[in-house]
Amino acid sequence: MTEGNRIDSVDFFDSLAANMNSRPTEYEVLGDVDIDLGLLMRRRDDGDFRLRLRFEGIECTGVAEAEDGDEKLADCYLDGDIDAWQAMFDDIADNGRAVGRQTINSLTLVGEAIRVRGDDPLGIDKFFRYNQTMQAFLDGAAQLASAGAG
Amino acid sequence: MGAVADRSYDRLPEYNPLGMPLDWAWLRGVGSEWGVRPKPSARGLTMMDIAVGSYGEVPEQPQHRSMAPRGCDIDGETPDMGYILNRKSQVWSENVAELYEEAVARQWSATRDIPWGELRELPDDIEHAICQLCTTLSEIEMIAADLPAKWMWRMNHDFVEAKMFLCTQIMDEARHTEVFRKRALANGGGLLKSRSGASSLLRTIIEAKTYTQASALMHLLGEGFILDVFRQGELIAPTDVEKKIFRMAMQDEARHVAYGTLHIRYSIEHDPDVAEEIHEALDHGEGVLMEFGTQPDLTTAIALLLAGSADDVEEKGFPMQQAMAVKLLTSYLARCERAGLNRLERTLLPVEMLGIDRQQGIPAA
Repeated sequence: MTEGNRIDSVDFFDSLAANMNSRPTEYEVLGDVDIDLGLLMRRRDDGDFRLRLRFEGIECTGVAEAEDGDEKLADCYLDGDIDAWQAMFDDIADNGRAVGRQTINSLTLVGEAIRVRGDDPLGIDKFFRYNQTMQAFLDGAAQLASAGAG
Repeated sequence: MGAVADRSYDRLPEYNPLGMPLDWAWLRGVGSEWGVRPKPSARGLTMMDIAVGSYGEVPEQPQHRSMAPRGCDIDGETPDMGYILNRKSQVWSENVAELYEEAVARQWSATRDIPWGELRELPDDIEHAICQLCTTLSEIEMIAADLPAKWMWRMNHDFVEAKMFLCTQIMDEARHTEVFRKRALANGGGLLKSRSGASSLLRTIIEAKTYTQASALMHLLGEGFILDVFRQGELIAPTDVEKKIFRMAMQDEARHVAYGTLHIRYSIEHDPDVAEEIHEALDHGEGVLMEFGTQPDLTTAIALLLAGSADDVEEKGFPMQQAMAVKLLTSYLARCERAGLNRLERTLLPVEMLGIDRQQGIPAA
């Protein structure tokens, strides 16, 4: 597996961002977004992977690895075990999009596999305000997979 | 700077062809600001972009009670429209212009944007449960249109951004009523049971004595609750059709909650006495919501969908429902705190039964 194929890599999310930004027609109908979203993937061995994603208008304008604790500076962050994240992306690759209880809303609602967290309830609510766009962004992994990059 | 004309325009006619006197004051220079020329931002010319100079100043207590646009040169003889919400703190929230723009940009169509063609035949119990859920949602969603409509014409027109946002909320709720009605009818089922619990809740909201009480009951309490129901709906959706419905509706609902949270906060910050009247409204509203939230039709339909079949309701459905109730309650209490209301100490909701310790505070998200 190459670095770009690993979900716990900046390259992978750079590819998701490029995928989103290359499809303005699809995201235009969903409407403008304004959210700084953190991701935290808890790994067993290599230390945790932290990422900050910036979404503005109909684009993902920022992908950056974050330092320990910096995910908390985002509007909200998604915190989960790497296996849960991998299962979600595998489901997306298998089905062309997240289905059943592997959608990001469902995963953050049931159990503790992936949680939506943050200090500000209004920041957390942004995750719900832009949920369809966030799901479409993550579903983009299916296009990467079918293109041979995922 | 007043709108002083570049030219004198002193050779204009004083009467029209019918002999009626003419007034060229608007051309010769009036007392409103001229030449502001706001710059569009990346996505176009937003309400935030045009909040420049005097046009961006929203008075705490407007002098006028007419429909004249804020910032124009208002004739002293304009009629009083009978507004009763004439203080900014009664309607405003700091995020209202942004939320208006967001609402306009994120409108969707229940006719076009839902993949209705992907509906498929479902097991009888699941189709019934979806139809019951949609029946209840179709009933209650329109309250969040009726309520702002009841108050908007009483809001001073200088708070036009708040009124514009509430217009988007009305459109959102019309669409929610539409989409849940459509789903109930679209797959061989139909509308099912309605009971008194829903109407009791809706009456409590619509009959609130002040707009801020109504906003607390509707935006913070009611729509906060429904936001979580929509989240659960997305989880338990049997097909991509329902998933898309609930995700799109969830986005709208979260926007309304965001307005309400910061409206209540603004209101309390500028008029601390209002906190007690909001608490009193929520004391009553939470009780009514409990009745509604535990009414048999809604809870059993959601529990069945969580379980995946009527056979597993007790073993799977109810335990999952209880776990989600904790999240729902935690989210509500956290939003109240963000709004400047400590409800944890005061609420009569069964927080202990759901494992929340009042002494420990609201569990972190």
